[in-house]
Amino acid sequence: LNAFLDARAIPADTTFKPDLAIIGGGPAAISLALALADTPIDMLLLESGGLKYEYPTQQLYAGTETGVKYVALDATRLRFLGGCSSHWGGWTRPLDGVDFEERAWLPYSGWPFSRAELEPYFARAQALVEAGPFIYDDAKTWTDVMGAPLKLGPGGVYTSWFQFSKTRDSDLPTQFGARYEQDLKRIPNLKLMLHANVTGIRLANNAGHVDHLDVATLSGKTFTVKPKYTVLATGGIENARLLLASNDVMKPGIGNAHDLVGRFFADHPIPRDTATMVLFDGNLASYYQNQQTAAGAQVRATLSPSQDFIRARQVLGSLTTVEEEVQLDDLGQAAVSATAAALDVDADNVKAYSLGCGMEMMPDPDRRLMLTDKRDALGMPRLELHMTISDLDFARYRDTMKELGRQLLAARTGMVRLNRKTREEWLSVMDWGNHHLGTTRMHKDPRGGVVDANSQVHGVANLYVAGSSVFPTYSASNPTMNLVALTLRLADHLRGLFK
Amino acid sequence: MTATWRGRIARRPFLLGAFAVLAAIAGTGVLLETPTARRNRAVFFHGNLLGLLDDRDDARLIGASVLKGLKGFDVHETTRLLGGRIGKRALGDVLVGDAVAGRLGDAGGWVLPETLALLCALAAKTG
Repeated sequence: LNAFLDARAIPADTTFKPDLAIIGGGPAAISLALALADTPIDMLLLESGGLKYEYPTQQLYAGTETGVKYVALDATRLRFLGGCSSHWGGWTRPLDGVDFEERAWLPYSGWPFSRAELEPYFARAQALVEAGPFIYDDAKTWTDVMGAPLKLGPGGVYTSWFQFSKTRDSDLPTQFGARYEQDLKRIPNLKLMLHANVTGIRLANNAGHVDHLDVATLSGKTFTVKPKYTVLATGGIENARLLLASNDVMKPGIGNAHDLVGRFFADHPIPRDTATMVLFDGNLASYYQNQQTAAGAQVRATLSPSQDFIRARQVLGSLTTVEEEVQLDDLGQAAVSATAAALDVDADNVKAYSLGCGMEMMPDPDRRLMLTDKRDALGMPRLELHMTISDLDFARYRDTMKELGRQLLAARTGMVRLNRKTREEWLSVMDWGNHHLGTTRMHKDPRGGVVDANSQVHGVANLYVAGSSVFPTYSASNPTMNLVALTLRLADHLRGLFK
Repeated sequence: MTATWRGRIARRPFLLGAFAVLAAIAGTGVLLETPTARRNRAVFFHGNLLGLLDDRDDARLIGASVLKGLKGFDVHETTRLLGGRIGKRALGDVLVGDAVAGRLGDAGGWVLPETLALLCALAAKTG
């Protein structure tokens, strides 16, 4: 086994010259290193933290937030080996075809390729996140055994499926650092260095390629890495920070000639108790509320707008989950009683459930990360996040819930109450997925994105970005498995460069 | 009327003429109907409509919420609309038809078939 290096023990003025420098140690960085194991590519992975949480390192993430209330920048992510996978919930679901499409009604939408480009990588990504066999919407095959799905009239909402990451027999999701520590140590062509903070990506004078990386430790050591290629994989917030802060040659920051780096930040809003769903007969298969095993996978049902509905009704992705059972007020009881009677259905066993959801946001250039004058312990400028969410985001989700209500009525199954109407009501129940997306968006045109279809920073020949910061639109699906798939695709591209 | 004269009258033009006369009489009747008569007729019909509701108190409670979201609610127009929509059909089938057609109403956030929402609004307004 190759022991991990500790940057604090590296002599000053040392220069490393790997084929590939991987900046970061989260799911993208680790997946990339694993994918390039046993290749001739000499890799150096630079992780800021250690193997566990360390407060001084975590404080490097501190910043400020303005606009809509968001999670503190040093609380929404983790800075040690494994990155954010050390606090993720393990929810997985692949992006849908519509997520990649340019939609005329959705400004800034469209990936530079279709879902077909990622499909060959989903199975391996699924294996890396340890979410079992790739089933997802095929889980409906097991509803004969697990219980009948909700009976809905024809329409735009259907029962879709999550899967869950599990570390072997553990209840916890796969934490990439702990889970793959030994595998990383077995990679002969990898040096993994802990406590190594990249503080600058230094371009050659012509700005056409990366010349070297500045590395520093909190103990005061500094040294240099001169890689042939660099992959920036520090997460959706820090990727932008490092590009913006590396502004010695390109004054706006690397890849920022068109003022795009740090813009289009997104997350998945997770408003609670968005709606109340009533089922007249009270029958709800347990997989709507809890994970259940199907064919070796942990699955849970979600109510999702179909791709056709998204296109036709111009809504965004959303994944609605059934939460706890709730009691109805007088109006609710009257509405349910009157509706059931009028529909001529028995409601003696009626039950009502609170619904929650993960929503997709519209891309918004004003939702952005910016450098401030404040500095962290390494002298790096701290970030400010300006967070926004549009009333249209809420309205589109309401349309989807209204469609669910319509379908329940059409099937005489139940009904829905839309619990949030005003912006204040929505914001009062808002939580966030801590999924950091969009800040180095992918677009074939440098005027539309920071990286190209291969994840290469436009105009910088040997610099790539991995992770969900390259997502130009976000889907409602949780990003981890998808960003791992995208990283495996990048690995194939890099492998080709060294042939 | 001689057989010769009768023979000149084709059957179809005769029937069309008769329909036209009847339509004119009916139209005149409608035009001449007084507001009071129209209101009484609406009350009679919406009384029948409200009889479709299982619980009048529930309906009034729901209807009060429905009315908050409706502008210019007109009892007579609504009665006429619902009378025509329901006819002799089972109310449940009408409500399912509403849902299928996307005709929906709102009562304090509850998504209701429009016909039920309007029936409840009628109950709140009149009764």
